[in-house]
Amino acid sequence: MGSAELLQYVVAGFKSGAIYALVALGFTLVYGSTGIINFAQGEFFMLGGVLSVFYYRLGLPLLLAALAGVVTTAGVGLAFERLALRPRRDAGALVLIIITIGGSMVMKSLTRHIFGPDEATLPEFTPGPSIAFGGVAIERQALWLWGLTIVAVLALTWLYRKTRFGRAMRACSLSHDAARLMGIDTARVVMVSFGLAAALGALAGLAVTPLTQTAWDVGATAGMKGFAAAILGGLGNPVASVIGGLVLGLLESLSVAFLSSTYKDAIALIVLLIVLFLRPQGLIGRARREKV
Amino acid sequence: MGMGTRKWLALVLVLALVIVPLVGCAAPEETDTEETVTEEPKEPYRIGAVLSLTGTYAGLGAPEKNTLDMEVARINADGGVDGHPIEIVYEDDATDAAKAQAAVVRLIEQEGVIAVIGATGTGGTMAMRADIERAQVPQVSVAGGTVITSTFSKWVFQTPWSNSLVVPFTLDYLKDKGIKKIALITDTGGFGADGLAVLQAQAAKAGMTIVASETFNPGDTDMTAQLTKIKASDAEAVVLWSAGKEAAIVAKNMQQLNMQIPLFGSHGNARTEFIEGAGAAAEGFKFAAGKILIPETYGEDTLSYTVATDFKERYTAAYGKGPDTFAGHAYDALYIITNAIGDLDEGFTPSDLRDQIEKTDSFVGIGGVFTYSAENHNGLDASDLVMYEVKDGKWVLAE
Repeated sequence: MGSAELLQYVVAGFKSGAIYALVALGFTLVYGSTGIINFAQGEFFMLGGVLSVFYYRLGLPLLLAALAGVVTTAGVGLAFERLALRPRRDAGALVLIIITIGGSMVMKSLTRHIFGPDEATLPEFTPGPSIAFGGVAIERQALWLWGLTIVAVLALTWLYRKTRFGRAMRACSLSHDAARLMGIDTARVVMVSFGLAAALGALAGLAVTPLTQTAWDVGATAGMKGFAAAILGGLGNPVASVIGGLVLGLLESLSVAFLSSTYKDAIALIVLLIVLFLRPQGLIGRARREKV
Repeated sequence: MGMGTRKWLALVLVLALVIVPLVGCAAPEETDTEETVTEEPKEPYRIGAVLSLTGTYAGLGAPEKNTLDMEVARINADGGVDGHPIEIVYEDDATDAAKAQAAVVRLIEQEGVIAVIGATGTGGTMAMRADIERAQVPQVSVAGGTVITSTFSKWVFQTPWSNSLVVPFTLDYLKDKGIKKIALITDTGGFGADGLAVLQAQAAKAGMTIVASETFNPGDTDMTAQLTKIKASDAEAVVLWSAGKEAAIVAKNMQQLNMQIPLFGSHGNARTEFIEGAGAAAEGFKFAAGKILIPETYGEDTLSYTVATDFKERYTAAYGKGPDTFAGHAYDALYIITNAIGDLDEGFTPSDLRDQIEKTDSFVGIGGVFTYSAENHNGLDASDLVMYEVKDGKWVLAE
């Protein structure tokens, strides 16, 4: 195998990986402020694509359609938290997680009924032939995906480290009661983090649509891969989620290269299990120490 | 938490419950069947239909249901079959074989249907077999898997071209173009796996060598890795067997990798969504399918042409877009059953109906001209297929 060919596999892996990473960031955001896994994250990814297509077909320019798609999805995220999760917020993590599963089913079915069963697409952000680079072909849309991933992870890291709101989010993840005692409006923090996670998922979903098309049923796979990426890297840490996504994509691509495409998902899953076995906190994540 | 939140929640729930059925049914339900029946109506003939209205194959089940709605309304407006109106009892299997099996039991035991159309998918179709055979009710499947008729059942018929018909047709075309080494890329779903098995079995017979064989899963978003592997082989053409939206990704990834060898698909790609999804990468894509996509290919002076253009016009008027091949499969299944009913005397049993369906001879449908026999429950042959090519975003006849 030539080096150009090997590099092509790496490029392919990082392309899928960026998608997984963007979805993983949404898991991390919600986990960071609530300590729960939001299984509706994949549906936010789906809604971003489907709604942007809807606005684009209404005649909006691509940029506006994308913006409207992200804003509407963020609205769905906020409403979902306010109407479905907050009324049961004291019921414990398991109940909340199950509510997110129910929410994902509702979003999926409603989308199927409102927008129909057929797949649809958006034009590429910057159309043109793929860029040749030392014998390796790179799609322009992949550059957008990488760019978005970098911007998203930088913005989130800044949010966590440097802003008052970010500190409030981190405080919430440690203990809602303590955060509330410190004067933090925990309900607002949780709601905003759902809105942000939805917006992020939507951004990923619409950025991928020119490459893969979108439809009402794309959320499940995206959610599963994004969840795996978040776990692999380490939940709660944006940089770890992105690394988890890229590693997962690379693993799949290299399994195709050196083993067989039939087993690529199985191989990625086995690696995930091994990592969880050896490092339950993920590749990057720090073990959470329980203090009594 | 106050009552306010509860009331809000309740309101949203109620709204959702009211809106969902409205939105779901709003489009096609304009055809009321009762009005034109003049004499006192005889008891309706009930036919079951197990279709995938949700799930992976929802994009196939929707045109199938549209077609049945439209054609049944038309039959009943003309006075039904021998004065009996036709009634379709629908079941949605959600693209789940287990649900298809449960649905067929309900249709037979509770609804008392005399025949079953479906399922949309090969998996669902096969899952229904034991109950179909036990209840001795004829089944006309609209799924394309070879196994449906190659694993023969006296009770099961099929309207789409099976892979065992389309694969040799495609390989012959490749051979005529001087292509001897092919690479395969197939999905791991029912249709792709069925196609792969037939391709592997038939390639040698057509003098072809398979130099690479890659798969992908339904829901995958990138096939660059598989295609990089194919690019490194000495394949002269890529053959893709997949009915899902992933097919468009394969075409795009090939273009991205600047692969110059041609891409051949299957009748599973005969959907405008494929062309939209693949965009410029769809140019030059070739696939074999029936003649409904370009009715002129039937020959303009043939009965097939008249039947197909009539169907195409009515379907387009009713639903705002032209029928695809899947709509055609449902059309054929319905008329094969109703024609057989029309040929029988009053008081027939489902078993009589099966015998009559098997006698279907030269029925001019959308998928082709059907002739069933005691050994052949697919009824079509290679003359019902043509090779298409995508040019300027449209289907044209390939040279």
